[in-house]
Amino acid sequence: MKLLSSDLAKKLNIPRDTLDRWIRQGRIPVLRKGDACEFSRGVLIRWAKEHNIDFSETPSVEGSMTVDHPDSLASAMIQGGVFYKAPGDGIDEVLQNAVSVIPGLSEKMKQRLLSMLIERERMTSTGIGGGVAIPHPRTPISDICETSFITTCFLESPIDFKAVDDRPVFVLFILSSPDIKKHLHLLSRLAFCVRDGDFISFLKKEPEPDALYSMVAEFEKRLEVSR
Amino acid sequence: MPLTRIYRRFMNNNDRLLLMIIGAIVGVCSGIAAVLLNRSLSAMLEWLHHYRDYYWAFIIPAIGAALSSLFLEKIVKEGAGHGVPEVIYSVSRYGGLLRMRSGFSRLVSSCLTIGSGGSAGPEAPIVMSGSAIGSNIARMFNLNERQRITIVGCGAAGAISSIFNAPISGLVFTVEVILGEWTALNIVPIALASVAGTEISRILQGNQIVFGHGGFEIDPADIASSLGLALFAAAASILLTRSLRGMHHVSEKVKAPIWIKAAIGGCAVGIIGMFTPVALGEGYHYIQDMIRGDFSRGIIIAAVCVLTKVLATSFTLGWGGSGGIFAPCLVIGSLVGLTYHRALSLIWPSAAWVDEGYFALLGMAGLISGILQAPLTGIFLIVEITGGYNVILPLIVVSAVSSSICHYIEPASFYLKDLKEKGQLLRPGTDARVLSDLKVTELLETDCIAVHRNMLLRDFIDIVKRSRRNYFPVEDENTGHFVGMIHLDVIRPFIFNPEIYDAVVLEQIMDTDVDIVPPDADLPDVLQRMDAKRLFSMPVVADDKFIGMVSKATLLDQYRKELIVQTTTA
Repeated sequence: MKLLSSDLAKKLNIPRDTLDRWIRQGRIPVLRKGDACEFSRGVLIRWAKEHNIDFSETPSVEGSMTVDHPDSLASAMIQGGVFYKAPGDGIDEVLQNAVSVIPGLSEKMKQRLLSMLIERERMTSTGIGGGVAIPHPRTPISDICETSFITTCFLESPIDFKAVDDRPVFVLFILSSPDIKKHLHLLSRLAFCVRDGDFISFLKKEPEPDALYSMVAEFEKRLEVSR
Repeated sequence: MPLTRIYRRFMNNNDRLLLMIIGAIVGVCSGIAAVLLNRSLSAMLEWLHHYRDYYWAFIIPAIGAALSSLFLEKIVKEGAGHGVPEVIYSVSRYGGLLRMRSGFSRLVSSCLTIGSGGSAGPEAPIVMSGSAIGSNIARMFNLNERQRITIVGCGAAGAISSIFNAPISGLVFTVEVILGEWTALNIVPIALASVAGTEISRILQGNQIVFGHGGFEIDPADIASSLGLALFAAAASILLTRSLRGMHHVSEKVKAPIWIKAAIGGCAVGIIGMFTPVALGEGYHYIQDMIRGDFSRGIIIAAVCVLTKVLATSFTLGWGGSGGIFAPCLVIGSLVGLTYHRALSLIWPSAAWVDEGYFALLGMAGLISGILQAPLTGIFLIVEITGGYNVILPLIVVSAVSSSICHYIEPASFYLKDLKEKGQLLRPGTDARVLSDLKVTELLETDCIAVHRNMLLRDFIDIVKRSRRNYFPVEDENTGHFVGMIHLDVIRPFIFNPEIYDAVVLEQIMDTDVDIVPPDADLPDVLQRMDAKRLFSMPVVADDKFIGMVSKATLLDQYRKELIVQTTTA
C-alpha cells in the first residue's frame, strides 16, 4: 500500500515529523519512497495495535474540534410538530394536554414523559420569559426518542406558568433529546430565538407550521454567520 | 525485479534474516581488519626490535606518536581519541553513522603509535574500524537507524572476537558497552558476527588461546583472598582513569602543534621504557609470562611496574597518541595481581597460595571491569583469553567487587564520562533518549485561536465561546508578530461584566511578559523552564510569529507513545 506521508500521519494520529523520524529510525514498519510511504496494511495495523497507537481508516477532520450536531432546531421542530389551541387552566393540565398530542409516542411513554415534565416544573419553572416556556425532562431520556424533537404548542388562553418575568405563557416548546449534548445545543439555539422581540411577536400571531419552520431556519442561519 | 521485491519484503516485514546475513558479512570484514592490524603490529615490532638497544631508542616512540597524530590530523582529518567513545557517541546521537575513512584511519595511526613502543592497545582502534565498516555496509544496504546500529554492533563484536579469539567477549562487550541494549533482535546478528570474526581469525592465524596456562588448584582461601585483590584492582583502575584524564588536561594547556605534543609524550614513554621495558607497547607477551609464572621480579619491581605502566599509558594517550586502553588494562591488571601475590607470600610465608598466574588473571578481570564498569565483559573476556573456566568463581567475585567500587568512586566509566558530562549518552529506552528524540515541532498544538491586539473585549468574548483552549495568543494585525498572551483565568472577572465589553481592547489585558519557546529548543530545557515557573504550557514562537503551544499534557501523550514504540519489540 502506498500513501503520502502526511496522509499516513493523519491516519495514525501522530504529527508528521514524528512519522518521518520513526521511519528514519526504523521504529515503524514503513518504507520511504520519496514523498510516499510504502507499507503492508496488515503488518502496520498489527504494529499499531501492539504499540497502542490508533490506526483509523478514515481520518477524523481535525480531531474533535467540530462537535457533531445532526439536529438543527428546524428539523427537531418538524419532528415534534406544531399544535394550536391546547386547552387547560393549570400547569399540569396544560402539560397533559400538550403531551397527549406529541406524535410517535406510545401511551406509556407519554405518561412517563409527562411525569418527568411535571417533576421538572416543580423544581423551577421553565417559563423563560416573553410568554414562552420550554418544558423538558431533567435528564435526557434516550428510550423515549432516538432523535431530538421539539413539540410546539400554542395555548387556548395564556396561563400563569410562574415564569421568571411573571408574564402569562402562551406557547410551549416541549423539548426532548436522547443525550445531554444535543439537549444543550437545542436549548441554547431556542433561547437565542426567543430572546429576540421580533420572534416573540411573530409567535403571538400563531403562525402556520411552515412559516414557523422557515423563520426558525432563518434565525439558525444568522447564528451560524455570527460564529 | 523479483529479487528487489524479496529484498523489500525482508526490509518491510521481518528484517531478522537480512540483519543476520549482513551481520555475518560485517563480522568477516572486521575480523579481517583485526588480523591485519595484529599482523602489521607484529611486523613493526620485529622490524624495530633491533633498534631497541641503542641509547637513542627513547625517541622511537616519539617518532611513532608524532607520525600517528600527523596522519590523523592532516591526512584523514580526524581527532585523536580512543575510538570506543566515538562509536558510542555515534550510536547514541547519529544512529550509528560513521565515516568510511574511520574504517582504516585508526588502524594506521594505532599501528604507528603502538608499533613504535607507545603504551596503548589495538582493541579500541579495531572496534572503531569494525564499527565504521559495519556502518558503511549498512548504508550500502540502505538500512534504517535501528538496523544500522545493530550492524555497527556487529562490526565491533567481530573485531573484538577476532583480535582475542573470543566470541562471547565480543558479543558481551558490544551489548554491555557499545549499545547498552539487550534485545532478541540485536543479539542474534551480533552473535553471528562474533562467530564469523572468531572463525576468520582462527582460519588466518590458528586457534590459539591468547594467554594459555596450565590450570590452577583453587581452594576457598584463594577465593577469599581474591576479595583483597579486587580492592587493589579497583584502586589501580581509578588511578589509571584519573591519571589519563589528568594528563589530558595537562597536555591541553601546553600550546604546541599537536604532533609536537605527541612527540613529547612519546619521548617520555621512551625514557620510561628504557628502565622498565614492560611499560612499552601493548605488552601482551609480558602478560603471557606473568600468567605462566615466568615473571620473576620481586614485589618492589612489580609495584613500580604498575606505576610506570600507568604513567606510560597516560603519556601515550593523554598527549595525542592513538590507541585503546584495553591492553594496558590487562598489563596493569596482571602486574597488580602479581604484586598482590608477592605481598601475600611476604605476609604469610607458610601459607600455600595458588600459582601467581591465578592472581595475574584475576587482576586483569578486576582492571577491565573497573575501568569499563562492565563486569560481564571482564568475566567473559578473561575466561576466554585464558581458556580457564575453572577460575570463574573468583573471577565473578573480583569483577563484581571491582566494578562496584569504581562505580561508587567514579559514577561514569572511562568511556562514558565525557559523553555523560556533555549529556550525549542516550541509552535506548531512557528518559534522555525519549526527550532527545521528541522535538518541539512534534508536540505543537495548533488549535489556539490567535487574536489581534486592537480587538474589543466584546469580539473577543465570541472567540472565547468558540475556543476549546484557555490560551489566546495576541498578534499585531499588521505584522502578524506575536505580542502577548491572554489566559482565560486572568480575564475571567471581565467576562461577566458586559458594561466594559466595548471599553477594553485586548492590548490592555494581555500578558506581555511571556516565556516563549523557539521551535528548535531542546525538550529537557523547555521542561526545566516549565518546572521552574510552574507552567503547564508555553507558546512556541518562530521569527516573531506564533506557531502553536507546547504543553505538558501533549508531551505526556507523545512521551508515552514514544516510549512504547522505542521499548516494545514485536
